[in-house]
Amino acid sequence: MAVSMGLLCLITMANVLVRYFTDISFAFTEEVSIFLMVVMTLVGASHAFVKGHHIAITYFVDRAPRLRHAARRLATVCSLAMFGLLAVLGTRMAWDDYRFEVTTPSLGVPQWWYSAWLPAIAALIVVRLLLQLRRDR
Amino acid sequence: MDWILFGIFVVLMFSGVPLAVAMGLAGTAVVAASGLGMLSLPTNVYTGIAKYPLMAIPVFVIAGLIFERAGVAATIVRFASAVVGQRQGGLAMVAILVAMILGGISGSGPADSAAVGAVMLPSMVKAGYPKEFTAGVIAAAGSTDILIPPSIAFVVYSLLVPQASVPALFAAGMVPGILSGVTLMFVAWWLSTRHGFEQPTDEPRPPFWKSLKEAGWGLAAPVIILGGMRSGYFTPTEAAVVAVFYGFFVGMVVYRSLTWRNVYDVLVESAEIASVILTVVALASVFAWASNTLGTFDHLAKAMLGAGLPEIAMLVSIQVLLLIAGMFLDAISIYFIFLPLLIPIAIHFQWDLVWFGVVITMNMALGQFHPPLGVNLMVTCRMAGVSMESTIPWVLWMVAAMAGTMFLVTFVPELALWLPRQLGYL
Repeated sequence: MAVSMGLLCLITMANVLVRYFTDISFAFTEEVSIFLMVVMTLVGASHAFVKGHHIAITYFVDRAPRLRHAARRLATVCSLAMFGLLAVLGTRMAWDDYRFEVTTPSLGVPQWWYSAWLPAIAALIVVRLLLQLRRDR
Repeated sequence: MDWILFGIFVVLMFSGVPLAVAMGLAGTAVVAASGLGMLSLPTNVYTGIAKYPLMAIPVFVIAGLIFERAGVAATIVRFASAVVGQRQGGLAMVAILVAMILGGISGSGPADSAAVGAVMLPSMVKAGYPKEFTAGVIAAAGSTDILIPPSIAFVVYSLLVPQASVPALFAAGMVPGILSGVTLMFVAWWLSTRHGFEQPTDEPRPPFWKSLKEAGWGLAAPVIILGGMRSGYFTPTEAAVVAVFYGFFVGMVVYRSLTWRNVYDVLVESAEIASVILTVVALASVFAWASNTLGTFDHLAKAMLGAGLPEIAMLVSIQVLLLIAGMFLDAISIYFIFLPLLIPIAIHFQWDLVWFGVVITMNMALGQFHPPLGVNLMVTCRMAGVSMESTIPWVLWMVAAMAGTMFLVTFVPELALWLPRQLGYL
């Protein structure tokens, strides 16, 4: 995660410097940095699920101690459903990109190099949420 | 169908399911029920965050953290106390001033409150301020952060409302942001003199020029960020990256307070903070796509306009609605939930969308330190070790001051629009 964040900064900085000094902008860096940002977001999201950092309104649930445990289970199950769906459907999306040989607009590399990461990390999130569900029991 | 979307979302949201997931599942349910094609789901999630302007969010978060770790805040505190001087309420005013200056570097309220709290809380408590008052002042001061550019909230607003460009919003937030800060300083000073906080000590006032020289490195950051954008050298994202490298340079070379270990921690921490925001953005795009395809918000907006409220009444009721929402949610989530509904209304009344963005962002700022759930206040109360309820007698004054400024900007739009017009952004 730190690596993708650091790379993201370096690439964008390089872009600014090069454009400033040479009038050439290498726009393809945008593609790479955006991809890094997507990966960083998903990996970060998986950490945030474990640590309970995601933004949620727990105000009402905290006022009803009897419901709290059930609410936490509900939250985990809902997140599981969401990312489970993303993992399955994302695989289909990446598979389509692979089958139809879709290439990216500025670098021209196969699109599935990028899109395959979404289901992969979604699957990782699913695993972590399952572990959490077991621990909470 | 509209009801499925909202019903699921509201029920899940209030039962404590992460907001991002609640929005994503509600959108998914609608997509599934109306046969819109399930493959739109991963596509929307991916394209929802794969946007270049969004890169400004993680990078501004790093910028704020790196300046905090570099120890810039302490030098700015010395400079601010040289400006304000030793007087009753002096330190409270210093805290607000420092929060405003740091607000020109980072773009998120809770981070700013934490940075200022770490530096100012101990010295304010030592000088005889009650902890409750101190927590309230710092939380309120931190909220000016999302108004004073650069502001992450404005970046997201501009993404959702392309008619309002990021530079125009940044410029428009400047005057209202400073105005709120000054109003808060006045309130803090007035409360302190009335209750006799901060007994005079014989600590010498830091020499003005020396402290300016030390703080200069930190004070230059907002100038670089805003100046660079104004002169057209960089986009907001690039300005943020330049700020990161500048902060890195200051911390490593000038103050020598940063280690590689700190830098690594900053990267990890900012990635975590940014990914929480971006997860909302990603899954909210499923919600947004579903509701757009159904036209849900157009129906709702029509219904609201059909009620035939006059313009002022509509504006005030929007502000009250957002104020309540702001107590529970952060600015970015609120934009994703409410803007699709509010923008058609704003367009109907021909409100200026830049001004509208500033007004609702002020509303968000207010919500950030309004008990019982202001995020900034949560942060500062935790640091001070007091309960949020105990801050109410102090915070309500500041809420009133901020609300006053907000209504001023509401009814005198030029306060927001003058600067961007001067700079040629409108």
